[in-house]
Amino acid sequence: MIAVFAIDALEYELVEEFKCENLRQKFRGKTDISEFSQPRTMVLWSSFITGKNKEKEVLAGGNKEMWDKKWPIGETFFSRFKNPVVIDLPGYSYDTKVHAESRRLLKEFFEARPEEEKEKIRSPYNRDAFEHHRKIKEEFFRALGQDHDFVLGYFSVADVVGHLNFGNKAMMRMIYKELDEIAAEIKGKCEKLLILSDHGMQAVGQFGDHSNYGFWSANFEVSFKNPKITEIGRLLK
Amino acid sequence: MDHLSELESRSIYIIREAYAQFRNIAMLWSIGKDSTTMLWLVRKAFYGKLPFPVIHIDTGCKIEDIYRFRDEYAKKWNLNLIVGRNEEALKKGIGPKDKLECCTELKTNALKQIIAKHDFRALLLGIRRDEHGIRAKERYFSPRNSDFKWNYQDQPPELWDQYKSKQDDEQHIRVHPLLHWTELDIWEYIKREKIPITPLYFSKNGKRYRSIGCAPCCNPVDSNAKNVDEVIDELKKTKTAERSGRAQDKEQAYMMQKLRSLGYMILF
Amino acid sequence: MDKKLRFVIVGHIDHGKSTLIGRLLYDTNSLPEEAMEEIKKAGEMLGRKVEFAHIMDHLSEEREKGITIDTAQTFFKNKGKEYVIIDAPGHKEFLKNMITGASQAEAAILMLDVNEGIMEQTKRHAYILNLLGIKQVVVAMNKMDLVNYSEEKFKKVRDELTKFLESINVKPTYFIPISAFNGENIVKKSENMKFYGGPTILEALDSFHKKKDREDSKLIFPVQDVYEIDGKRIIVGKVECGKISKGDSLVALPSKHDITVNTIEKFLENSDSASAGESIGITASGDDGIKRGSVISGKVNPPRIKREFSANVFWMSPKKVMKGEKLIMQIATREVNCEIEKISRRINSSTLEIIGSDADRLEETEVGEVVIKTESPVAIESFNDVEELGRFVLIKNQDISGGGIITSK
Repeated sequence: MIAVFAIDALEYELVEEFKCENLRQKFRGKTDISEFSQPRTMVLWSSFITGKNKEKEVLAGGNKEMWDKKWPIGETFFSRFKNPVVIDLPGYSYDTKVHAESRRLLKEFFEARPEEEKEKIRSPYNRDAFEHHRKIKEEFFRALGQDHDFVLGYFSVADVVGHLNFGNKAMMRMIYKELDEIAAEIKGKCEKLLILSDHGMQAVGQFGDHSNYGFWSANFEVSFKNPKITEIGRLLK
Repeated sequence: MDHLSELESRSIYIIREAYAQFRNIAMLWSIGKDSTTMLWLVRKAFYGKLPFPVIHIDTGCKIEDIYRFRDEYAKKWNLNLIVGRNEEALKKGIGPKDKLECCTELKTNALKQIIAKHDFRALLLGIRRDEHGIRAKERYFSPRNSDFKWNYQDQPPELWDQYKSKQDDEQHIRVHPLLHWTELDIWEYIKREKIPITPLYFSKNGKRYRSIGCAPCCNPVDSNAKNVDEVIDELKKTKTAERSGRAQDKEQAYMMQKLRSLGYMILF
Repeated sequence: MDKKLRFVIVGHIDHGKSTLIGRLLYDTNSLPEEAMEEIKKAGEMLGRKVEFAHIMDHLSEEREKGITIDTAQTFFKNKGKEYVIIDAPGHKEFLKNMITGASQAEAAILMLDVNEGIMEQTKRHAYILNLLGIKQVVVAMNKMDLVNYSEEKFKKVRDELTKFLESINVKPTYFIPISAFNGENIVKKSENMKFYGGPTILEALDSFHKKKDREDSKLIFPVQDVYEIDGKRIIVGKVECGKISKGDSLVALPSKHDITVNTIEKFLENSDSASAGESIGITASGDDGIKRGSVISGKVNPPRIKREFSANVFWMSPKKVMKGEKLIMQIATREVNCEIEKISRRINSSTLEIIGSDADRLEETEVGEVVIKTESPVAIESFNDVEELGRFVLIKNQDISGGGIITSK
């Protein structure tokens, strides 16, 4: 079985700083996403699964429709597998409702006045993210225990929580530790493991902004060090 | 010597040092409590006869009381007041809709224009170490290049009252005479010296300003402190940070802009 | 009085400085509540325990970036007393920040990991404390929990360190066995180290004094500037030590002019005298020739006037300094061209090994026993007698690059 642990906004530098050995794996590096005008989640995952730069097509849908985009399996590298499972991935099997709620709260947070009102939104915002995380985690491990030749799980907690809390390092360390433990647990359940993020994150005060490179790591030897995100899918077989 | 006198004496020393080293200097006066305290100290240092101008950066969106206070004391204290307005940006209609752009144009660039025009070698600023994380790293004399960039990882050492006083032509030096004061020190000193302060700092309908700036970006905090004594009492009890009233305004503005461009926030 | 104690924490980077700061804040209840609350909630939702490392992370992030890249200052209070921690980074390349921090401190905590013992930085920092004249020192023997609170281990490392410190003339007031991680002997006494009967870190700090007002010593009044205000010539400056009064008959150095104090000038205040620490002005008769850099003192036993003196210099710049190179010296308010005429000994500040005798240069982090020659006469004292006129900085390429203390008797 090949497993892909897809983590939104996993930051290379933080993985190093927190010494997350399981996320780091034997081979690792930064991905090169400089061909894209901005590090956008939907654009990057779409490009990953189709092996093509999908920036124009995704953005053509406009900011609202963008999030609803779903690529048919025939256009993705998943079609190479007999029995693949892809959990919650943007551009494919994304739970649009849950994630739309996250973005709504985010907007509400920034627009709330006065400041004290913001703090009232931060808690439910974080809580939603953690709840969704727990659900995806269960689903992911269920799939890993079944007879699939390919399992991909998409985890958004580092991005969602990161946007409002990246400057709170204690919080981020906790999340990275959690992700690191998930990585450790996946290892025993598959032959090949690829860990991939669309982009990383950098602190803007207490907040987090997307950084201009992603993270990848693998427990199998690969020929690249700083691959484009469109080059990675074709290696998985 | 008591605590406040010690703080005062050190600040006066630094103010005089800046003037002795650079001569062509100015001080920034936001009309807030810190820079008004600094102004008080500058008046003490020069026996009421300021040998350099006082700059007020006017973004056009300051709270009305601020202007009233400024004009009253500029006259009373016989200040050489320079009001800095980025007229060009104001004409273009730049304002608080985009906070980041607003601050850059109306504050930073307005100040750059003034420095260039008068060729000031150093500026006195009333910042304090306890205000904000990054400010703990400030030095009393802190060089900035022409882009206002501060290289805080490679600052000259500062020891035994000896400060960075030599500079290149394109540099100017920010001097921070209040660096070692705390918010509480400021208030206790205001009380002792009876320094006039804008009434915005005192409670009206259960709210008061804890730090002040432009009207659209400043939020009052809940408070019943109606005078200096009550403010001091309140501060002794609180653990919340002073700038929470305009908490990370710039960062928020930047994040909103970024999230919008990433497609997060246009949605609803 | 004695309102705020400023202390610096120095020592090797991994010996627990940040943890100690975290502990001091945590145990004195000085941490911001909101952020702590969010961390706790996140822990609950993820089913994770909040560790002290998490809190430390938060703190360091509060103070920007993982490692303390500069001299950050942290304030806290306990039982009505106020403290300022000057956190000096342990990285070798940040020596100048450490010196900036330490030069403002009234006391120092030297951190040592009992497990690892004395390291390069331990020695370097201890040596610099000595150079900067910080006499109130506590040695915090950290990570006692990792050696099973062994009294034997504590004593062994303490004795080794004492021996080294004696060789550089540092005499710590206390050696305290602590566990910063568990918060033992920091604010609360440890139950695990009954063999130790001394004070906790906080108690030790409380026993220290603020720098004394130096009113009793002889007058040193370095002239900062001369203002012409309303037809008066006001000579301004800070009284560094001693006392100055109306009517005093004094001498201005190095010109050796006799002057008489006519008035003491404070804004909107009538006063006939001023003492150590005060920034004031005076008017005087016979003041011609007094300018920035002059030193006003009493006529009995005034500072010496020299063009050449011996000193210990520590070099903080990556750009080395050569013997005979043109430098600027700043001592009190005086600025004068100078050169290092002789480098009798060039010393590695961490090993204290002598790298060379009669050397031709000093490189970054090195200490030199030198002779300095100035272009014109300067009023000086030896550092041990009058600190304020016994310490100076050297400027190369516009930057303060070296610090020094005068050793000439």
